[in-house]
Amino acid sequence: MSTLKALKSVNGFKRTLLEGLLVLVVVAGAIFFKSTLPGGELRAVSTIFMFIALSQAWNIIGGFTGYASFGQVVFFGMGGYFTAAVMLHLHFSFWLALPLSGLFGAVFAVIIGQPLLKLKGHYFAIATLGVAEGMREVVINLPDITGGGAGISVPIAGTFAKTQYLGDGGFYLLFLALALFALAVGTVVSRNKFGYGLRAIHQNEDAAAAVGINTVRSKVMAYSLSAFITGMVGASYVFQQVTIFPERLFDVEITVLMIMMVVIGGSGTVVGPLLGALGLQFISEYLREHFTNMHTFILGGIIILAVILIPQGLVNYIREGRRTKNYSLLANIRRYRL
Amino acid sequence: MDTFLQVTAYGLLQGGLLALVAVGFSLVWGIMNIVNLSHGAFVILGAYIAWEIQGWLGLDPFLGMFISAAVLFCVGYIFQRFLINLIVNGPVFITLLLTFGINMILIQGMNLFFTADFRSIQTSYGSNSFEVGNIRIPLVRLLAFLLAIVITFALVAFVKHTRTGISIMATGMDRGAARLMGIRARHVYALTFGISAALAGMAGTMIATIETFDPSKAGKFTLMAFVVAVLGGLGNMYGALVGGLLMGLVQGWAGQYLSGTWVNAIAFLVLIIVLVFRPNGLVGKAFYAARVEI
Repeated sequence: MSTLKALKSVNGFKRTLLEGLLVLVVVAGAIFFKSTLPGGELRAVSTIFMFIALSQAWNIIGGFTGYASFGQVVFFGMGGYFTAAVMLHLHFSFWLALPLSGLFGAVFAVIIGQPLLKLKGHYFAIATLGVAEGMREVVINLPDITGGGAGISVPIAGTFAKTQYLGDGGFYLLFLALALFALAVGTVVSRNKFGYGLRAIHQNEDAAAAVGINTVRSKVMAYSLSAFITGMVGASYVFQQVTIFPERLFDVEITVLMIMMVVIGGSGTVVGPLLGALGLQFISEYLREHFTNMHTFILGGIIILAVILIPQGLVNYIREGRRTKNYSLLANIRRYRL
Repeated sequence: MDTFLQVTAYGLLQGGLLALVAVGFSLVWGIMNIVNLSHGAFVILGAYIAWEIQGWLGLDPFLGMFISAAVLFCVGYIFQRFLINLIVNGPVFITLLLTFGINMILIQGMNLFFTADFRSIQTSYGSNSFEVGNIRIPLVRLLAFLLAIVITFALVAFVKHTRTGISIMATGMDRGAARLMGIRARHVYALTFGISAALAGMAGTMIATIETFDPSKAGKFTLMAFVVAVLGGLGNMYGALVGGLLMGLVQGWAGQYLSGTWVNAIAFLVLIIVLVFRPNGLVGKAFYAARVEI
């Protein structure tokens, strides 16, 4: 028994070491590329990093816990507006506003999570969507704080600005750091007791409660953890964009992109959302550049095909295939077919 | 007092329009447990078809509406039979993503085909209105309101008294049992989706005669259908009508007595309150909100 345990821990240690090395190489590569990429490409890669962080955040509540938060963008928007408001009105530095916006999102998630997480399936999805749409309207109707529909600008230079604008390279590093942070959180959640509790809730909530998991607390914690990351990403996005509008910051499409990335990559895994974010954002940029008119059209087609052919997501498809030696796409179609 | 009555009348008429948009959406959700994110796109597609028919044949929108509905029935039937049926048993986000993908394709397709310009169907009686007491009632809105009521009652009669309707209800209640009784669930599902799309086409035609439309409005209609369907509740054909009228009244009153665009925030506040305290909607049945399909 003890040898087995020791062997396991050696294997686990080796695995962690390998993963650590891989992450180091990728980070070193990313920092190295920063000096060689032109401004436009830097911004494009920053967006990829941003979506890696966002999809990891959604994966915690949507992938592990199985609650389809269709209004996840509300934390993005509220984190962003919190940062804009405190930087403009209270002259906070960005580095103070950044964690505070994450906290703001997390607290808001705890407040709305208590009643909303009692709902299941579509009802949770719609309730969160309603919160997102409603908060957008609230933001529009509080022009003294948020600038209303006319938008709000973050001070980025001069005496009023505590933090100077970071520039393309600075934001590249900031979003890289956020993506790494989100990946680290995702990895930790995926491997500890809390994460297994969330998976249990996903599979059968009553059974999870029966074996002693405090389902309400776990769900609210997962929701606020994902809100924390989303809020910080929103804050960084606002600082990058300088001038922001409610329509953009509470755009349903941002939520849909997060969900797409997680589902197509493989929900409930850490690598899946990462691959989904990389792949989808890359394809999206490519299509935007080469087929400007048909961009949405082709993207919609890709979503439909992906959802029908590999509904469990790329990573889960490969894992199952390796286990069962069966890579048949037809079996995949039969899975959810009527 | 007159203002209040006018606002109430206007809210009810607007509610009829909302109900018209939501009734098909609610049907699909109730029977198949699918939240159809492309519903708004079907509404807009119906509006474009009616607009084209009026342009080519000079047909009145109240007649063109039936052609629009027929075309959309076919489109809806094909989508469900060959696409959505493939993932009907999947988890929530799979169905949501698929219908969102359809939505993207439809909207971008309409953008390419019809351009993103604002359009509307012009009729000789489009701006007519009459007065009851001191209340002004626009004619076309009243007709749309009446249409919503007629459609709701026709739908109830259809599902209660025809073989097809009963098989739709049976499939919605217990698909496994319905299939054992020899009902072809694939066909019935496609039929249900076709009916929903046809109703969306009729709603679209009404919207085109009342206001301007363009592909970017589709999302708004989907969201409205969402809110109304939840308010009314599933499993009851009157749900959309009740939800729509309530929503119309709330919007009318809030628009009159609150400043700015708080009216939209109120709409979602009502939605969340109803969801938290009465998740099955005002007249819905709990059964349809929590069932497992075989």
